[in-house]
Amino acid sequence: MLSQRHTPSRSATTMSPETAPPLIAAQLNYLLSHFPLLVKIENKWSGSKYYPGILDRFTLVISYCLDVIKWDIIFDAESPMAAPDVIFGPDDENFQQFLVLRGEEEGDTKSPKKFLNDWNSRDPTQLMLLIQELRDQYMSFQKKRVAEVDDDRLKFEISTIVAREGIEMHMSSGVDKPEEVKFSVPLLDMNINKMVPGCPWKHKQKIYLQVIYPVEKKYVSTPSAPRLKLVSTTELKSIFSIDDVKLPTWLNGMCMAEYLPHLEESLENQVLEAVSLIDVRRRFIEALALQFGRPLEADPVFCRKATFLAASGVFTFLVHVLISTQFPKQQPELMLQSSQHFNSQGAPIKSLFLTEYPWSPRWEIPLMAERICDYLTDEALNFKRYCNEPQLQH
Amino acid sequence: MEDPSIDKVAISGPALASMIQRFSTSQGSVDGLIFGHVSHIAPTLTDDSPNSTSSATLIATITGFFCSGSTHSFYNSSGRVDPVLLRRLVLAQAQSPSAHLLGWFSGRRKTHLRPSLREFSVSNALSSNPNLTFPIQNPPEGPSSPNLVPSLFLLFASPITDQTIHTHEYRAYHFRASKHSFEPKSIQIVNIGPAFRAQYENFSPNSPFPNLPFELRVSPMIVDRGEENLDQLRQVNKDQSELDMCTQGLEVGSLSRLMGSEAANYTTGVEDLYEKMLVKIESLTTLVEKSSANVLEQENLNRKLRYKAARSAALE
Repeated sequence: MLSQRHTPSRSATTMSPETAPPLIAAQLNYLLSHFPLLVKIENKWSGSKYYPGILDRFTLVISYCLDVIKWDIIFDAESPMAAPDVIFGPDDENFQQFLVLRGEEEGDTKSPKKFLNDWNSRDPTQLMLLIQELRDQYMSFQKKRVAEVDDDRLKFEISTIVAREGIEMHMSSGVDKPEEVKFSVPLLDMNINKMVPGCPWKHKQKIYLQVIYPVEKKYVSTPSAPRLKLVSTTELKSIFSIDDVKLPTWLNGMCMAEYLPHLEESLENQVLEAVSLIDVRRRFIEALALQFGRPLEADPVFCRKATFLAASGVFTFLVHVLISTQFPKQQPELMLQSSQHFNSQGAPIKSLFLTEYPWSPRWEIPLMAERICDYLTDEALNFKRYCNEPQLQH
Repeated sequence: MEDPSIDKVAISGPALASMIQRFSTSQGSVDGLIFGHVSHIAPTLTDDSPNSTSSATLIATITGFFCSGSTHSFYNSSGRVDPVLLRRLVLAQAQSPSAHLLGWFSGRRKTHLRPSLREFSVSNALSSNPNLTFPIQNPPEGPSSPNLVPSLFLLFASPITDQTIHTHEYRAYHFRASKHSFEPKSIQIVNIGPAFRAQYENFSPNSPFPNLPFELRVSPMIVDRGEENLDQLRQVNKDQSELDMCTQGLEVGSLSRLMGSEAANYTTGVEDLYEKMLVKIESLTTLVEKSSANVLEQENLNRKLRYKAARSAALE
């Protein structure tokens, strides 16, 4: 998940239109760049009567349980040093009650109240700490709601998986929605970031299983299977595509404690394989370099892309090699780009993706590179002809 | 825990309008206190009524309010109520004994019309304060009726996107201390008409106007009655000073002529009284106007200074 990087704030001294007061802007920037989870500002607007360009109201979108929660943060442009106020979503009316009651129980030592009480506008970390604390409390709040659901199967499932670290749950109910309990179960207790050498990811990459249980009425004898879906953090896609994973079937009468170990085992093997494939791709690019010479550009971390300079007689062109995560089962896509021919807009002429060429996943890697080179020797002539066509029309 | 439910909130049209006016003319968000009484209205029994057992209703009537013109006037940023500040505000609003602190209100521009975290905390604190309880004005007969707590909350907001027709929103909530939650309540805007008979039957005047002693000092006999006369004289002096607050120069004694046989001829006296009241009011208006202008000027200056301070603080 790519967290939205904050754009460098405009000069703090000028109150140009459509900016937050500097003290508030500092809080927001810190939140956006340091919050450990995905957080975005969806909407910002001004509540000021006299300075409608000074932004002091913000809708934050915070990831929770593979979904998002939206909270309004209300500052006051008239007193930028004062603590903000929070308006929660319309479905979470009882969250405030939970917060206040819990605060009374625990003597306010570790509650959002403390942050609001001791708000220091000059410390830009305050908003982030407040949101973090509120989100933690929200997690406990949802846990409590789910625990109150009167469904024997759910009670059993919770008792078996609640100890898992990082599990999140959400109770969704509404007037026209069926009652459902949603779990987000983090899978694989391994740090994928550490397994990828030179990993550029800022957030820890994770795979989650989303499990949605419909809340059953008492008289239903056979509970229906939950809805299952694998979700991964977006950046993981560059080495491992979650869509290619086939989920084991959920047998009647199964429970999560039975289901998860199998899933985790097969998933772990697939992730390990995906990581080892990075090296296979690296060796493939190195083999290509023997044929084409040093690449102009190559993806050094995930080895998904490389570009070489090639020539056929006096015709010089670029070869883009795009390697999928399924390599070597799936052959790379090739694309040629002329260095000499341009279309009417002045952009270099490119070929379509070439995927139909001799290939076998069982070949040795040097042979793969050799066969691509052979294929391109012929294909270069076709491409040259193709490049010259539009010029003939002039 | 005894926690009677308030069924309706009633407020007079002008009072609601002036609350909205205070909110819409303020610089930023505002808060304040609301005063009034809670009365018990017996159901009107009609033979046609399908459920003749319908219970009586509790109506909270808002008779007055105090707007602080800013926020955090009696609580801090986490919503903790400061009892000293609150007491000071309530005392400053010395109202008639029948007006109690019913709750508070909050107005914030361009926000959703839902209570915020801080508002929830403030309402929770107000309604759990044992020093602020008050009785129902006309309790139903029977065993002792429970005391009430200041648990009303009026929320004012304006839509987030500018709209041409719809400019302000408001909603009333009753904070149930037993359930720790807000219950939205309908607001009944009281205007004159037969539908509001119940309110008018509950009306009790509370303006400080002197008693009019009938035939004061008319009979020379009274002058001779020693001790009693002294008491009366004291009473007259007191009434005179109260009357002087409204109109100077008019004697209490002459008020007696408003009654009795002379009344028909004494129109000039009444006109005189009203005229003097008008003059007083007019001078008050100019005074208020002038001081408002000064206050506005000072507020603008303060705002500029605040921005300056915030900017330099951020630069450090």
